[in-house]
Amino acid sequence: MQTAEQSALGRRTDQIEETLMAVLMGLMTLVTFANVIARYVFNDNLLWALETTVYLFAWMVLLGASYCVKKSLHLGVDMVISLLSPGTQKVVGLIAVSACLLFSVLLLKGAWDYWYPFATAQAFMEVDDIPMPGFLQFLATWLNEGERYEKIPRFIPYFALPLSLALLTFRFVQAGWRILQGTQISVIASHEAEDLLEETVQAADAANGGR
Amino acid sequence: MSVVFLFGMVIGLMALGVPVAISLGLSSVIFLMIYSDASLASIAQTLFSAFDGHYTLLAIPFFILASSFMSTGGVARRIIRFAIATVGHFKGGLAIASVFACMMFAALSGSSPATVIAIGSIVIAGMREVGYTKEFAAGVICNAGTLGILIPPSIVMVVYAAATDVSVGRMFLAGILPGLIAGLMLMIGIYITARVRGLPSQPWAGWGEFWGAARDAVWGLLLIVIILGGIYGGIFTPTEAAAVAAVYAFFIANFVYCDMGPFASPGKRGLAIVTRAISTFWHPDTKKTLFEAGKLTVTLMFIIANALILKHVLTEERIPQEIAQLILSAGFGPVAFLIAVNILLLIGGQFMEPSGLLIIVAPLVFPIAIQLGIDPIHLGIIMVVNMEIGMITPPVGLNLFVTAGVAAMSVMAVVKAALPWVGIMFIFLILVTYVPWISTVIPTALMGPEIITK
Repeated sequence: MQTAEQSALGRRTDQIEETLMAVLMGLMTLVTFANVIARYVFNDNLLWALETTVYLFAWMVLLGASYCVKKSLHLGVDMVISLLSPGTQKVVGLIAVSACLLFSVLLLKGAWDYWYPFATAQAFMEVDDIPMPGFLQFLATWLNEGERYEKIPRFIPYFALPLSLALLTFRFVQAGWRILQGTQISVIASHEAEDLLEETVQAADAANGGR
Repeated sequence: MSVVFLFGMVIGLMALGVPVAISLGLSSVIFLMIYSDASLASIAQTLFSAFDGHYTLLAIPFFILASSFMSTGGVARRIIRFAIATVGHFKGGLAIASVFACMMFAALSGSSPATVIAIGSIVIAGMREVGYTKEFAAGVICNAGTLGILIPPSIVMVVYAAATDVSVGRMFLAGILPGLIAGLMLMIGIYITARVRGLPSQPWAGWGEFWGAARDAVWGLLLIVIILGGIYGGIFTPTEAAAVAAVYAFFIANFVYCDMGPFASPGKRGLAIVTRAISTFWHPDTKKTLFEAGKLTVTLMFIIANALILKHVLTEERIPQEIAQLILSAGFGPVAFLIAVNILLLIGGQFMEPSGLLIIVAPLVFPIAIQLGIDPIHLGIIMVVNMEIGMITPPVGLNLFVTAGVAAMSVMAVVKAALPWVGIMFIFLILVTYVPWISTVIPTALMGPEIITK
């Protein structure tokens, strides 16, 4: 797409987001796998494993959603818009982005309303199983009137919500700007599997080279 | 009336080119703001509950990851070699072997397009070389690829299980027999066509080649044994089985098949081998596979999370119950009801990604089906088969686009090429719909009869 004019900052952000998604995915797998090993080899259950996996999962998907907006990876139906003239396409594209923005702004408000009490009035609320690592105990002094946390406080995992919806809003604003500029047509992936396809075909060709 | 408004909004937004996930989410938010006093905060909470309220869905990223590690060219090539060594010597052998290879690959991957890409990108070229037409090859692969979601493991089945609180293990077991039957029906169709048209067969390569190919492919195929054996044997939960499968696939791809990672390129032996083995964890190939799987998970789960908001709206407004009343009072029997479900899903499946559609439709039809005495597992298999057909019918059949890419044909040409085989899938759908035994016999035999709580 517009990779040619991508700035150094843009590349760095891509790298950070891509590495983060890979690391979250890897950690989820390892934690779940470690729990199986713990149960059968050490006869012990990692109580915190399931909850940790769940939160890693939520962080990966919620943060990844804004990355996928940036890269136009979200699935959609382009049957109707592909029939339109370029001018109409632009108008429809802007309407679609506005709808996306409405969604992300409304949910950002909701996410903030939901998260904020956990960071203030209900800062004493903890998750069920994940123990609080010592180096984070300073949060207790800040937010919990000095009373130490046994489990991590809820506002930490739930922070994924406001953070990711803020990022999502930002990315939709950017996408809207690009449609206005005419460098992008829509916010959806046109034919979903094309990228994946290209890579696999290449890989298969390479693998088939000898035959 | 409000239901029509809700779904009208979803469809309207999608037609405008709004991503499916956002169409579902925004429609639900607007609906809630108009018709109920739910706060935005509670909607955000529902979005988060897609993760911390549905443990079953956790299996999805792991199955995607396992299939990403297995989707390297090498595994598909080994499976194809084994398939050709087994059934290649029949008339139309290469096409039959392709179906067989798709069935085996379906047992490693939970998705149909992935199956088409992995197998199709190799065999379509192969079939053309020995004299099949491009149309024949593409049509066969396009259809056989849909078995990816019917033969366990299957992401669509995990979604169905999460939407209806049916056991994932049961659904997986239920998919085995229908998957084998569908594959067999396609193979018989090919064999008959091959006889009529005089399509070529491969020479029988001998038992040596058969055992050699089998030994080479077995590491990949063991994956399904781990998954089903693990779940059925009570060793893992389905989520854990998926994670173990992902770790196993990582191990096989890097250290046994050496298709990726530090061992894919030749290097020094000796002590350095240990550091090389350890470096696999941060090797670029590993990172890339993790990231690709993450990307796929994100787009899929974002749709599911938003579909769950819509599901929440439907349940809150008691819409499934209203429709159930309507249908029951109209005197629909189970047969008429299943036909209606089939039609609804066939139409919906042409426009929407299977998992998203399923998570919306399943809660709507599930309560009605239970009232009518339809087995939940049977209903699940019917839905999966409908999704398969949706993937190979225009305008938005995902498999059609993927096959068009792999075979370098236009989408319309693939539609035409796939049509005769879609006929076979239709016969299969009717068979599965009216013979519940096919779906329920294996899970009932292995896990005991289903307990249905109304």
